[in-house]
Amino acid sequence: MISLEKKLLTWLDQGLINQEQLTAIGKYEQRTSGNNNNHWWLYSLLILGSSIISLGIISLIAANWANIPDLVKLGTAFGLLSVLAVTTLWQSKPDSGYMYDALLTAFIILCLAVIGLIAQVFHLSGHWYNALLLWSAITLPTVLFARQLFACFLWSTIFIHAATWGAIALSSGSFSGNNAAQLPALFLLAPLLAAGGYVLTRLSQHLKLFRSSFFFWFQISGLVALIFIDIIRSGGEMRSFELNWYIPAYIVAAILMTMIASNPAYRPLNKGLLISIILLLLLYFHPFILFDGETRYSFNALQDPGGTVNFWTADDIRAPFLTILILFLYATHAGNIGHHRTFNVMTFLIGLRFVILYFQAMGGLAATGVGLILSGLMIIGIAWFWHKSRKRLQHWSEGLHE
Amino acid sequence: MNRQFGLALALLLPIVVLAGNTWMHYQQRIAGESITFPIEGFDPRDLLSGHYLIYRIDYGIDDNGNCPTSDIAASLCLEPERRIYPVDELPQSCTQFIRGNCDSSTRFISGLERFYVPQQYADILDKKVRNKQGKLVVSVDQSGNAGVVDLLIDDRPWKKIVTEE
Repeated sequence: MISLEKKLLTWLDQGLINQEQLTAIGKYEQRTSGNNNNHWWLYSLLILGSSIISLGIISLIAANWANIPDLVKLGTAFGLLSVLAVTTLWQSKPDSGYMYDALLTAFIILCLAVIGLIAQVFHLSGHWYNALLLWSAITLPTVLFARQLFACFLWSTIFIHAATWGAIALSSGSFSGNNAAQLPALFLLAPLLAAGGYVLTRLSQHLKLFRSSFFFWFQISGLVALIFIDIIRSGGEMRSFELNWYIPAYIVAAILMTMIASNPAYRPLNKGLLISIILLLLLYFHPFILFDGETRYSFNALQDPGGTVNFWTADDIRAPFLTILILFLYATHAGNIGHHRTFNVMTFLIGLRFVILYFQAMGGLAATGVGLILSGLMIIGIAWFWHKSRKRLQHWSEGLHE
Repeated sequence: MNRQFGLALALLLPIVVLAGNTWMHYQQRIAGESITFPIEGFDPRDLLSGHYLIYRIDYGIDDNGNCPTSDIAASLCLEPERRIYPVDELPQSCTQFIRGNCDSSTRFISGLERFYVPQQYADILDKKVRNKQGKLVVSVDQSGNAGVVDLLIDDRPWKKIVTEE
């Protein structure tokens, strides 16, 4: 606000605005910032406070008070839950501001604590993701009444994690997280599920507050999945593949592609780009279609002296090119719909992957003086090319229409 | 629908579901028949996992009555003969049984293999279970649902043992 006042005075001195305009802008900013921004710290502290109180309650309950009868523990927990529900309802007036969302968030966290308490009192066996899925199902109607982002973000985060692990466990029968061979299925499903959630939220105004949360998790999990599978395929590792581990991902991918294809908000170009990305990702995670797990260009001379490996058929060359292709398609889509920040990040990642690919393919050369000079020149060249070309590429992608 | 009324229903839903769940487990605990099984630890796996003990339950089944195959839903018949059957092959003559499944190593898992304990008593109880002093009191209802009631050490409730030590 202070910086704005300074700027306004500067503009007034420079004759860019007059005194009336300055007063009008000042009044407008005071009114709008009073509604939206001034209380962000209060909101954060209220959320933090309610989260800490909820965690304290969880800790107290989890402390296993051996001498307190089970019925007293459960009675206290349900009493707290009821009091919180009534207080939330009481604070639900439109002018109640952030207190309402803080109470609502505390209520849903306490629901999770009560699930834990029930499991503890009755010594229930079960997986954490089943408990979280139950929590997601029973708290969703409450979260739909949230007015701020935090409760929706918390719910989406927990739901995506629980649904991903739960779906893989359901399809594989015995997923424990200790079986590393099943991890690719988990990494593939997470971004697809988050993307599915995002597309669903675009269909209904009631789900509007969930949109940014699902989009955030889609981008994060998508990037992690791409890095993970690039490392795995480049190294020829994790060759175990059982179809049932991947069934949830294939089902979600099919639903997602149908939703994208039938969404009138997307142009045909964007539909094509997004569906291509999904198909490429599915291909990438399949260990046999594009990869053989044995042919590697790097260190080939050490592994097979005298043998020759075709540059284009080696797994550790195909993998980065597939990564770059997926990033390029997504960058084009982001540029086309005006997501400039995503576009910049994607094109930067493409450049970064090219540099890593260079060291993968020419690793031996980098050990020499000439090689180091060439490597440095290449990094500078890619950075320069990215800086010079991204605007042009962005305009090109924006201009891609039907 | 009035927004306030909708919110009230939404807030009521988790309370009702969780209270119903609690009531169901509580009823099962008090209405079922109590049966006591010996339990034992299994090295080298650590019996303690966070705040709970994990163990194997000795159902008293001989080799012939064990899991017929791996990864199936199964029922452990307790009366008249202790034997594990695939869930759809449980004989009519079986008057008391526990639902569960046979895991990948053809071991019967009933979901009773976990007992929550306060952290300060965990080490003491862990040692006693390893010494085969532990027994599990289980409540089994007519539908084959089973729930843990108590942990016995030397045939006495664990709370008495830990307060004495």
